[in-house]
Amino acid sequence: MQNRHTQVDTEAFEALLLPVLPKAYGTAYHLTHSRDDAEDLVQEASLQAYRAFHTFQPGTNFKAWFFKILINLFRNHCRKRKREPEIAPLDDAPDLYLYSQTAQTGLHKDHDNPAELVLEQMTEAQIRRAITALPNEYQIVCILYFINELAYQEIADMVGVPVGTVRSRLHRGRKLLQKSLWHVANEETPLSNLKLSYEGTPA
Amino acid sequence: MNPDERRYTCEETFRRLEDYVDRELSAEEMERVREHLKTCEGCAHEFHFHEQTLQSLRNRLQRIAMPPALLSRITQAIRQE
Ligand SMILES: [Zn+2]
Repeated sequence: MQNRHTQVDTEAFEALLLPVLPKAYGTAYHLTHSRDDAEDLVQEASLQAYRAFHTFQPGTNFKAWFFKILINLFRNHCRKRKREPEIAPLDDAPDLYLYSQTAQTGLHKDHDNPAELVLEQMTEAQIRRAITALPNEYQIVCILYFINELAYQEIADMVGVPVGTVRSRLHRGRKLLQKSLWHVANEETPLSNLKLSYEGTPA
Repeated sequence: MNPDERRYTCEETFRRLEDYVDRELSAEEMERVREHLKTCEGCAHEFHFHEQTLQSLRNRLQRIAMPPALLSRITQAIRQE
């Protein structure tokens, strides 16, 4: 490959790269579910971006360009490893799932923010299990959304699908995630003294 | 234009709540949802909880800090290219 970068190139690249690394790491962590794999993924994406830096159009969205590389790398790794979801795939969830479930258990009376209450008592491992219950492409879109606070169009650019696909995956994915979180939260540490009412017992 | 003609029903509002939270509606739709939420307690309550839930999820998932050593590892690797 013909990629002799000048000092100036390297500095320009790093000036763009370094500010996006923390969010890239957070995204990679939730995608890979491992700190080591997340570090490797971000480093690999950084090097690949560096080698392709001559194809980046100055003045366009560097973060979107870089994340596209990161997502593609992640997809390639998944293909090689054939990751299996840790828990059974989910059926569709109704709107405002956490809202209705926490309402049914009576959490609304005593708590101003019942969703937060559920999330705060969950461990990292539980959060990880809940996320992995989502289909891979839903995980990608949801994690990009929650970690980065992006417009749908930006996510579409990163993932390489039309904006309408992002919208529908995000809407469905967020519902699935709420359902999954609720089930995981209850199956491992039942919200004690609360009557739980969700269909289907966890395996 | 008579604003009453353009008023959303609860159902029309609910269908747009997620895009409203994400500011992904047209300016006109944003305005119509905003108008509905001002006058409808039920929808306003649902909107509040939806927004709160998404924000809680965001806070929980964003709590992952990048290891400081990763930065120097990457800049070193770049300079070795
Ligand atoms: Zn209403």
